[in-house]
Parts: sequence; C-alpha cells; structure tokens
Amino acid sequence: MGDMVFYLFALMTVLSGFFVVFSKNIVHAGFSLMFTLFGVAGLFAMLGADFLAITQTMVYIGGVLVLVLFVVMMTRIPAQNLPKSSFNRKIPAGIFSVLIFAIVFKVIGGTEWNVLPVDAPEATISMIGQKLLTEFIFPFEYASIVLLLAMIGAAILIRERKIDDDEEVQS
Amino acid sequence: MFVNITIPNWSDFAHFVPEAIMFGAFLLALMGDVIVRGRKPVVPFLITLLGALAALYYSFASPPVGDAGVLGSLVMIDSFAGFFRIVFSFVAVVTILFSWSSEEIMGSTREHKGEYYALIALMTGGMMVMAEARDLVMLFMSMELVALTSYVMAGYMRNSLRSTEASLKYVIFGAVSSGIMLFGMSLLFGMTGQMTFVGIRDALVANPVNDLSMLVVLIMIMAGFGYKIAMVPFHFWCPDVYEGAPTPVSAFFSVGPKAAGFALMIRFFFTVFQPIVDTIDWPLMIAILSAVTMTYGNIVAVKQTNVKRLLAYSSIAHVGYLLMGFLLLTPGGLQAILFYLLVYAVMNLGAFMFVSAINNSIKSEELSDYAGLGFRAPWASVMMFIFLVSLVGLPPAAGFIGKLYLFTEVLREGWYWLAIVGVLNSVISLFYYMQIARAMYFEKVPEDAPAVKIAPLHYVTMALLAVPTLILGLYWSEFKAIADQAIAGF
Amino acid sequence: MLHEHYAVVLLFILFGIFFANLALGAAKIFRPRSNRVGDKGVSFECGELPVGSAWVRFNIRFYLIALFFIIFDVEVIFIYPWAAVFKSLYPALGSLMFIEMMVFIAILVLGLVYIWAKGDLDWVKTLSKRDGNKEVSGA
Repeated sequence: MGDMVFYLFALMTVLSGFFVVFSKNIVHAGFSLMFTLFGVAGLFAMLGADFLAITQTMVYIGGVLVLVLFVVMMTRIPAQNLPKSSFNRKIPAGIFSVLIFAIVFKVIGGTEWNVLPVDAPEATISMIGQKLLTEFIFPFEYASIVLLLAMIGAAILIRERKIDDDEEVQS
Repeated sequence: MFVNITIPNWSDFAHFVPEAIMFGAFLLALMGDVIVRGRKPVVPFLITLLGALAALYYSFASPPVGDAGVLGSLVMIDSFAGFFRIVFSFVAVVTILFSWSSEEIMGSTREHKGEYYALIALMTGGMMVMAEARDLVMLFMSMELVALTSYVMAGYMRNSLRSTEASLKYVIFGAVSSGIMLFGMSLLFGMTGQMTFVGIRDALVANPVNDLSMLVVLIMIMAGFGYKIAMVPFHFWCPDVYEGAPTPVSAFFSVGPKAAGFALMIRFFFTVFQPIVDTIDWPLMIAILSAVTMTYGNIVAVKQTNVKRLLAYSSIAHVGYLLMGFLLLTPGGLQAILFYLLVYAVMNLGAFMFVSAINNSIKSEELSDYAGLGFRAPWASVMMFIFLVSLVGLPPAAGFIGKLYLFTEVLREGWYWLAIVGVLNSVISLFYYMQIARAMYFEKVPEDAPAVKIAPLHYVTMALLAVPTLILGLYWSEFKAIADQAIAGF
Repeated sequence: MLHEHYAVVLLFILFGIFFANLALGAAKIFRPRSNRVGDKGVSFECGELPVGSAWVRFNIRFYLIALFFIIFDVEVIFIYPWAAVFKSLYPALGSLMFIEMMVFIAILVLGLVYIWAKGDLDWVKTLSKRDGNKEVSGA
C-alpha cells in the first residue's frame, strides 16, 4: 500500500512537471505546477516530514502558486502568439537533459547514502521548534531579515513610479 | 521528548558587533527614511555612514582572536572573518560616501534614495556573515541575503531599461546557480548526514564516497561559488550587470560580493574538499578554469569601447588571478589571495569610482569620450592613472606587490604553465588599461568637449582609494602581516 | 507505511476529487449536447456581447499584495513550531524564548511599517502630484 501511494505521488509530480515544461499554454502550465507541488508535499508526508508537507502546501500551493498565476495574468502576450522555439534549440536541450538525468541517476544509484538507523519521530514539529529556538537561533533571526529584505526589495522594484515633471526615460 | 537541549551560549552574540551594527543601521535607516522625509535622504545616509565607520573602527580595534566557533558550529568568528570585516566595512564606507554626490543614485528622478543606503548596510552585514559561515544552513542563507540585496540594487535605476535588464539577468542566473548549488549541497548532506563543514569532512574521510558522485557534487557546488565570483563559465551575467547597474553599485558589486564569495569558497573548499584531493584532482580543474577565466576576461576586455564594460571584463580577469592562489592549497597561497583581495578592493573600487565621477559630469562611459580627460580633469585623471597602473600590476602601485606575492607562490608550488599564462595575461591587460590612459593623456581634447566638473566628495573618496593604492605599493609589509595573520585559524 | 493517519488525509483528498468529478461528470451526461458554434461559444456577460479579450493585464499591485501575503505566510510557518513547543521548552529557556520570537516579529513589523508608510498597501493611490492629485484605482 505504502509503495503504491509513493508511486502515485511520484508519478503525479513527474507527469505534471513534464506538463509544466512542455505545455504551450502558460495558464495550463501554471495550474499543473500545482499538481507538481502537491505531489512533492505528498512525498514529504510519506517521509514522515509532516511539518515540511504542511509548509509545502501552505507556502507553495497557497502562496507561490498564486504569485505565479498573477504573473501569468500580468503578461501581455496571449499564449498562442508565443515565438516558436526553433528545432535547433530542442535537440541540444534534449541531449543535455538526458545527460544530466543519466548522471544524477548514476549518482543516486551508486552512492551509499547516510541513512538514519531510527524511524523518523511521530511529529517533527516539536523537534523543529526546539532546534530553531536553541541551536539554530542565529539562522532563525537571520531568516526574519531575509524576509524583510524580500518585502522591501519587492516594494522597491515594483512600486509604481511617481510621475515627475522631468521624467527621464532611457532606451 | 527533548532529549538533549543545547542551550545556546547567549554571550556568543557579543561576537557579532560589526554585523549587529550593520543590520541595525539597515533597520534604523529604513525607519529614518519613513519618518524623516525630504528631498535628500540625510538620515539614512548619516546612519549608514556612521554605522559603517563604527564597524570599520571596531573591526580594526578589536579583531577576533583564536578560532573558536560561535553559537555551536554555525559560524566561525576567527581572524579570517576579522580580515574580511575590515575589507567590507571599508568598501561600504567608501561606497556610501561616494554615492552621496552621484547623479546615478541621487539624481532628481531617482526614487528610493534612502533605501539605497539601507540596502548597502544590509549587504555589508550579509557579506560579513558570509565570511563567517561554516555550516550549510548559514552558507546558503548568507549567500541568498547578499544575492537578493544585489538584485534589488542592480535594478535601482528603475527608469533605465539597462538597469532593469541587469536586475532581471542577475535574478535568473542567480536563481539557477543557487538552485544547482542547493542540489549539490543536498547530495552532500545525503552522503554524510552532516551540516557543518568540519562534520562533512570528517564523515567523508571516515566513509569515502565514490568518485563520480563526489565529482558531481563538486561541480554543482562550484557552479554556485563560480557564479558569485564570476568565474568562467559562470560569468555571463557579470558584464551586463556591471554595465547596467548604477556605477557606484557596480563598484560595490565588483569587490564586495566577490570578496565574500571568495571568503566562503575558501572556507568551504579548504575544509570539505581537502580530503578528496588525492582522488579527484580539483586543483587542476580550478587551474584550468583560472587560466581560461583570466584569458577570456582579458581578451574580451581588449575589444570593449565602454569603460564600465571594460572594467567588468577586467574584474573577471582578476578572478582568474585570484584563483591561482586558491588552487595551491597552501597557507602561502591563501595569504597571497587575501592580500590581493585587499589591494584589488582598493584599486578596482577606485577605477569604478572614477568612471562614475566622470559619468556624473559628461553622462558617458564611452572610451571615445575620455579623450583628453587628463587635461580636463587633471587631478582625477592622475588618480585614475594610479588605479590603472595598479590594475596592470606595475610598480610602484599596490597591484604589483599583490601580483608579485601571487606569482611567487604559484611558482614555488611548481605551477609553471599557470604562472606563464598569468604573466602573458598581465601583458594583454597592460594593452587595454593603457588604452584608457592613452585616451586621457595622448588624445586631443575635442572642440565641443563638455567641461568636466567633479564633486568635492568624489575627490575625497577617490583620494581615499588612491593614497592606499600607493601606500600599499610602497609600505605593504604591515598590511601583508594582517593578511598573514588572518589565516592563522586554518 | 510509516504514518497510517495520513491515510485519512489521502482519503479526504480522493473523496474530494471523486465528488467534484461526479458532479461535473453527471452534468456532462445529463445536459443537452450541443456543439459550440456561433454565440454558444461566447462567454456569458448578462446577455451583452463581451468586449475585448478576457486576457487583460492585471495591475502589478495584485502581485505586490500577493508577495506580502507570502512573506507573512512564511512568518506564520516560523511562528507555528515556536508556539507548539512553547509550553514544554519554557522551563529550559525561560523568557528568552519569548524574546527570541519577539525579535523575529519586530523585524518583520518594521517591514510592515515601512510598506504601510510608503503607501504600498493603499489600493487607491495618488500617482501624480502634477495632475491635481488624480486618483488612480487598481486594475
């Protein structure tokens, strides 16, 4: 049963990932990204990383995906007018992807991974909370500065311009 | 449930004085910008300037001693980090001072002037943490903080298409390379189950991983660092970003994040990848990349007609020189890198500042518009000449001493071919640096040449850089001693 | 399987998918079939013919608001584990635990103050001083 669920999630992630890449319509691509992210959340849950699964659902599906769809809505060009990518670009890209896949496949298959001897704890959240507040207190506070920066940076970069009398527009 | 709670040693936070000053200056400047409104952002400027000066003073006055890890094993505040604190706070002081009179930053159509200063303070703090990180978590977070800040700063001139393009390119390249690096880090974590650099190394020594996997990890992580320091083949963003960003920002980028990237790279590679030198000859890989980097940077620089772009390619070439010291894996090589980074910071900042000061006045960065500058702006041109001589690596400027140490170390370790490539490259660089000097001194002043007016503050900042360039070229031993001490922890 | 209780979650999701498809599928079976020709393919706008394409460019302010939402979303993610362990970790850490989180929140509140004071949260914005404070609304 467990294996079946795993393959279900894995298939969902990979197939919808393919769809994201190959779909000609960016709205469809954006929505199939949801299934990719959801599949990953499912995989996290199967690994016993419940907190990560919740985070994945809340932040990625609930937040980042909305952002992606907003970006889609901000584009001017309807999908059918996309410039056709030439055939030449597809072949090297394909070869490159297959090569990378082969290498990563070999690495994942050929490495002795450091596997924890014990089962993951029932609920990871208290362990995460404990680590965050003691051992990782510096990165924890640092994260708030990174978040603040993201907020300010976004505001600076996309805030609407005031129209001044001496507007200078370079081209 | 809580088996072993490690209560952090709260007094460890006392080690973070310069970082705390810079982050505090960032927050205060931001709030100052909100509260005090005016045409000129006096409050953020003063707060960040004083903050950077205080950080500089503190870094000099009480350098960290010993090699104790702080806050468990996340960060390491040793003399190595102390050295970079000095470099970064100095760079910040100069950049903040210079930006005040820069049209590109403070021009009447510019917005977010207050935020600009706040972001410089933030980035300086982030770079300091980068030089201290010794854990994968801190490595990634500090790199991301610096990267995110630089995306915003590159796109600062929002009504300039070039600047926006620079920001976009920076974001895309940055996201891809940090994604690759993160993948490499996850593989490393999967192999060892450790987060700290030392822990990873020990685990790799205890249970060696097969060569192919290690090589893949190495290349992936090198992609992240290579992007940060603009090493070929991860350099594509560099000329466009430096050209598009406001010149004071390019100046800051070309020394700050680059030095921080080197600091973190040194810490990471010298700890984690040290034991696998026998099985994977990564110093040779870096040697080839170093030779390619400097040759590419220099050859492409020759053809440039835009001085800012030329300096961008020359900064790529300098990364090549710095990598020569990196791959030696000896204390001598490290000392040479640190000293060269110090020299490079001073002279490269100076060259960019000159370009910015001229651009302020004549609104051009084209080489052809530099004709006769030596007579139109004599003092500034003399200082630029000093920077150029130093960038080539000729005596009596600091660049000569820096290169001398580097090449000596390279030869001592027996990398003869690399040293020859390096010397040949210096010859190429002589050609294009002197093209600027030739335009300034040996070309007639065009009839319709606009008058060059350089702001007093720009004279001050350039002098702040030109004088050390000369001093470091004549009395370098004390500064070399600081660089030498900095690697005591290694 | 490691965590059986996730099966319930999975079951919920499967039921959700099933019922959504059941409703749509049933409608598909029972509704009169028609091929979408002429006015039938046109989107319904209270009987009026639609004007222009549905693909309009949205105001960038939507993006900004969504981004701020994510930032605070992530903040909540950080607060949650803190709240979960507060009671059990309090004896060991004491009030420091509270201070840690307050510092975290305070830094982000500064950001909120910033975007608030700078007017990024105003939906109706004054864009130009020159044109007699013409108000421009979103979208």
